Amino acid sequence: MPISAPDPLLNVAGLSSGYGKIRVLHGIDLTVRESEVVALLGPNGAGKTTLLRAVSGLLPVTGSVRFGGRDLAGLNPRDAVKAGLAHVIEGHRVFRQLTVFDNLLLGVYDLPRGERLARVEEALGLFPEIAAKRLERAVSLSGGQQQILAVAQGLVRRPRLLMLDEPSAGLSPVLVDRVLEVVRRLREAGTAVLLVEQLIDKALAIADRVYALARGSIVLEAGTAEPDLPQRLERAYLATAKPADIAM
Amino acid sequence: MVQSIVTTGLAIGCIYALIGITYNVMYSASRVFSFTAGTLGMLGGVLGALFIGRMGMPVAAGFLLALAGGALLGLVTEIVAVRPVLKSLDQHLYVLSTLALALMVQQFTAIEWGTEARPFPRLLDIPRGDFDQQFWLPMLACAVVIVGLELLHRHTLVGRAFLAIAEDTYAARALGLPERGLRMASFALAGAIGALAGFAGGQMLLAFFGNAPLLTFYGFVPVALGGMGNNRGAVVAGLLLGLFQQAANFLVGGIFASVAVFAVFIIVLLVRPEGLAGAAVQRRV
Amino acid sequence: MTQLRLSRTDTPGARLAFGAALPLLALLVVGLAFPLFGGGYWGVIATRACIYWVLVAGLNLVVGFAGQIAIGWVALLTLGAYTTSVLAAGNVMPALHPYLALAISGVVGAIFGLIVGLPALRLRTFYFAITTLGFATIVTQVALAWQSVTGGGVGVPGPVFPEPFSSQWGFYYFCLALAAICTWMTANIAASRFGRALTAIRDAEVAAEACGIAKPALLAMIFLFSGAVAGVAGGLFASLQSYITPDAFTLDLSVLFFIAILIGGHGSILGPLLGTLLLTVLPEFSAPLVAWSTFLYAALLLVIVLAVPGGIADLIDFKNRRPLETGRAIMPRPDLLPRLLGDAKEADVLTLEDITLSFGALRAVDGLNLRIKPAEVHGLIGPNGSGKTTTLNVISGYYAPQLGAVSLNGAALPALAPAQRAHVRIARTFQTPRIIGSASLLENVMIGATVDGTGTFIESLLSLPRHRRDEAMLHDRAMQALAVVGLERLAGVRADRLQHSELRFAEIARALMLRPAFLLLDEPAAGLSAAEIAQLGALVVAIAKAGTGVLLVEHHAELIFDICDQVTVLNLGRKLASGTPAEIRSHREVVDAYLGA
Repeated sequence: MPISAPDPLLNVAGLSSGYGKIRVLHGIDLTVRESEVVALLGPNGAGKTTLLRAVSGLLPVTGSVRFGGRDLAGLNPRDAVKAGLAHVIEGHRVFRQLTVFDNLLLGVYDLPRGERLARVEEALGLFPEIAAKRLERAVSLSGGQQQILAVAQGLVRRPRLLMLDEPSAGLSPVLVDRVLEVVRRLREAGTAVLLVEQLIDKALAIADRVYALARGSIVLEAGTAEPDLPQRLERAYLATAKPADIAM
Repeated sequence: MVQSIVTTGLAIGCIYALIGITYNVMYSASRVFSFTAGTLGMLGGVLGALFIGRMGMPVAAGFLLALAGGALLGLVTEIVAVRPVLKSLDQHLYVLSTLALALMVQQFTAIEWGTEARPFPRLLDIPRGDFDQQFWLPMLACAVVIVGLELLHRHTLVGRAFLAIAEDTYAARALGLPERGLRMASFALAGAIGALAGFAGGQMLLAFFGNAPLLTFYGFVPVALGGMGNNRGAVVAGLLLGLFQQAANFLVGGIFASVAVFAVFIIVLLVRPEGLAGAAVQRRV
Repeated sequence: MTQLRLSRTDTPGARLAFGAALPLLALLVVGLAFPLFGGGYWGVIATRACIYWVLVAGLNLVVGFAGQIAIGWVALLTLGAYTTSVLAAGNVMPALHPYLALAISGVVGAIFGLIVGLPALRLRTFYFAITTLGFATIVTQVALAWQSVTGGGVGVPGPVFPEPFSSQWGFYYFCLALAAICTWMTANIAASRFGRALTAIRDAEVAAEACGIAKPALLAMIFLFSGAVAGVAGGLFASLQSYITPDAFTLDLSVLFFIAILIGGHGSILGPLLGTLLLTVLPEFSAPLVAWSTFLYAALLLVIVLAVPGGIADLIDFKNRRPLETGRAIMPRPDLLPRLLGDAKEADVLTLEDITLSFGALRAVDGLNLRIKPAEVHGLIGPNGSGKTTTLNVISGYYAPQLGAVSLNGAALPALAPAQRAHVRIARTFQTPRIIGSASLLENVMIGATVDGTGTFIESLLSLPRHRRDEAMLHDRAMQALAVVGLERLAGVRADRLQHSELRFAEIARALMLRPAFLLLDEPAAGLSAAEIAQLGALVVAIAKAGTGVLLVEHHAELIFDICDQVTVLNLGRKLASGTPAEIRSHREVVDAYLGA
C-alpha cells in the first residue's frame, strides 16, 4: 500500500515576482523536503536570486509560498526567520563595523539573552576559523572568512531550511569545499538546504535534487543521480531546452 | 577676551554639534536628512521655558518632559514624513515632506508661543561666574550624548542593531532584524538629542521660534563638513564652527561673521562635496 | 510602402500645445478685465499676484523643471528690490531712471542667480537646499547691517514708475504685462528642447548625458534667467510696497514661492500659476487665516507630497486618465528605418584597446581589446561579474579606464565625458529603462536628438523661427522613430503608464533619434516576452543593415546566437573567446565558463 509522502517543508506554487514593472519570475513551482539539499541552477539573469528573495519575503509576490504548513506569501523576512527559514544573501554581506561575535548576535536578535549566547557559541563551534577571530571586526576578515561568517549568521538560529545564494562567489577552491562540507553536515543534522550555485559540478556533488531556472521559469527538475543530467543541464542553460523537459 | 571667545565658541559649538548628531542619527537609520533637526533644537528651548519657566515645574520634570516632547516629534517625523516617502520612486520627496513638517511646527510655535525671544529659566541655583552654567551645560550635554551613544553602540544589542541598519539596511532586513521598529526608535532617540541640545543651550539661545532656521543651517554645517553619519566628525566640526563664528563676531562684527561662516561652508563643500572626512560618492550607473 | 506621415497640426503634440495655451489665455482675459470688477484693495492683491508670478515663473524652471530644490529664492527678490530702490532713490550715485534701475536689478539678479545656483552642480540635493536657505538669511542680514546703502532697519523708499504706470491700475497693467511675457517665455522654454532637457536632468540624469545634454551649461542658463526675472520682480515689489525694510523679505515668502510650484506640479506652467494665485489670494479671505497662512501652506505641501506628488497639474491632467487599450502588442516596422536613419555613413570603426579598469581591489575589466564595425551586430556575453556592463559604460564615457583607450576611427574619445558621445553619434540604451515618467512618450523620444537642435536658448525663449524649425524637425523625427519601433499610437501617453516592454522599445527609439553610427544595447531583452524578443531581434538586424554598428550586451543566449555576426565572450573582465556564433557555441571553454566548471 503506497504511503503518501509527507508534505514538503517548503512548497512554492505559481510564484511570480519582480521589481516594480519588471516581471522576473513567472509561475514557479518548487519544493524542498526535510533534510534535503536542493540545488537551484541557471544562467545569469534567470532569476535565481530573485526567487530566494521572493521566498524569504524581501520582494512582493503573487502565488503561494508555504513553509512548514504556514503561508509565508506577503509576510516579511522577520516572520520567515521566526518560522525557521534563513536566507544568506548574495555577496557575503556581513556588518563590517561590528565584531564577528556581534554579527552572530544580531542573527538571534529576538531570542532571550541566555539562549542568544548559547546559540552564538554553538555557531562559533561549527566554524573554528572565525571562532578564533570572534572579537575582531568583520572588516578585518578575508572574503572567504566573511562568507563563512554569513553562513554562520544563517545557522545561528538553527533554521529548518537554509537558503544560500552563491556562497562560493569570490572564494578560493579550498574555502568553497569548506562551505560545501558545512552544507553536507547540515543535511546530516536534519537541516534542509536550498543552494543557488554557479559551480555546477560542486553543487551536483552534494545535492539530492536540482532545479534549473531560465528566463524566470523552471526548465528542468531532476534527481542528481540521473545519468544524462550534465547534457540536459547544458541544453537548459544554452536555452535550447523546452519547459516540458521535466522528469523526476 | 580670548577666554570669552573660547568659552562661548565651544559652548555654542557643542549645541551645533548636537544638532549635527541629531541629523546623523536620523540619517543612519533611514538614509535621509530631515529638516526637523533644527526645529527639535528650538523646541527643546521652548518646551523647557514653557514647563519650568511658565508652568513652574521642577527642573528635572521639565527636563524629562522636554526630552519626551523631542522624542515625540522625532517619532512623528518618521511616521509622517519619512516612512511614506522611503517607498516612493522619487528619491527627493523626503526633503519636501520633512521641510513641510518642520515649517508646521515652527509656525505653530510662532503663533502659540509668540515671535519674540522669551527668557529661558536658570536651571541650577548656583551663583554666576565666568564659566557659567550657560556655557558648561551644553558642553556637558554634548559629552553625555557622545559617551552615551558609544555605550549604546558597544554594549547594547539595540545599539548594535542600529549600527547594522546604518551600514547595510538590506542585509539587516534579510537577517530578520525589526527594521521598522529600529528606525522608529532611532528617530525618537534623535528627537530627544535635539531637544536636549535646545534645552541645555536654552540660557544662551533663549526660547525663540527663530532659533529653528538658525539651528537648521548651523547644525547642518558639522554634518556637511564632518561627513554624513559621522558623529565624531560632527563634534569636531561643530566645535570649530562655534569658535570660528565667535572669533569672526569679535573681529569683524555679527553680520559679516555670518557671511564668513557661509562662505567657508560653501567653499569647503565645493572643493570636497563629501565633507572633510566623508567617503566619496559611489557609482551612479 | 505606406507613407506614415503625420502633419504637425494633427499630432498629439500639437493638440497638447493648444490645450495648454487655452487656460493661460483665459486667465489673461480675466486679468485684463479685472479692474472692471475689483476694487482698490483687490487691485493691490492682484498686482502682488502678478509680481509673485513673475518670480515664480522663473523659479518654476529651476524647481519644477530642473528639479533643483532652491528654497531660499527670496534672496533674489530682496536683491532686486533693494537694487532698484537704491538706484532710483540715488543713495549711492545720482538717481537713475526707474526703468534703468529695474533693468539693472534684472542683471544683478541674473548674476546672483548664477552664484546661488551653481553649487547645485556639485552638491547633493539636501545640501543645496540648505545652502540656498543660508544664502537667503545672509542677504537679509546684510540688508539690515549695510545701513549706509540700504537704510538698515529703517529701509528705503521704493521706486515710482512714470506715467502711465504711476497710478494703481496703470501699475497693475504694467505688472500684468510683465507677468504675461514671463508666462509666454517660460511656456516657450517648456515646449522646447531646453525644457525637455531640464526634465531629463531631473528624472533621468544618466540618460540625459547619453543624449548629449550638458548639465552645467543648461543649469547656468536657467539660473541666469530665473535670477533675472526674480530681480525684476523685486523691483516691482519695492514699488508696490512703496517702502521696503528687511523684514518684508521673510523666509515665509520663500516658502510661499516654493510651495506654489510644488502644489502646481512639476513640469507644468499652468499648475504653478494657479498655485501662485491660490496662495496669494487665499489668506485674504479671512483675517485669522493670514496669521496661520504659512502653517497652512506647509500642511498643504505635506499633503501634496504624501498624496498627490504631481500637484494640481496631475489633478487636471484628464487626458492621461483615459484608459489605455489592454493587450497592446508592439509591432515594429523595420522597413521604415532607412528613412529615419538616412544614407549610409562613412565606415567608422569603434576600437577598444587594452582597457583596464579596477574598482578598488576588484578588477572589472582586464586588458580588453574589442573592435566594433559598422553594419554589424556584435554580441558581448559572459557570466555575471564578467565586465560586460562596465565595458559598455567605459565606451559611453561614464567610467575612465585606468589603462587603455576607446577610439573612433583612430581618434581617442575623451574619458568621463558621456555627454560628448552623442556628438560622435554613439547612442545607447540602459539595463533598466531610464525615462521621464511624467512626460509623454513623444517628449521622451524627442530628447534623443537634443544635440541636433540649432536654435539658442534666447531663440527658444522668444519663439523665433529657428526654434520652431527645430521643434518641427524633432517632432517629425520622433514620430518616425516611434513608427519604426511600433509605438506611434502611444505617442501622447505619459511614459509611466506604459508597460516595461514598451519602455524598452521606447529607449531604442530615443537612441535612434541620433541617427547613430554606433548603438550600444544593454540587456534589451530582459523582461520581454518571446514574441517581443523576436521583434527586437528583427529590429536590431535591420538597424545594422542600415549601416549602424550594434554592440549587444545580453544574457539571452538564444537571441545572441540568432542575430549576431560576431560574438565576444568575457569572463572575469578578460576576453575568453571571439568569433562567429557557431564557433562560440561549440567553444569548450565558453560552455565551461557558463556552466561554472
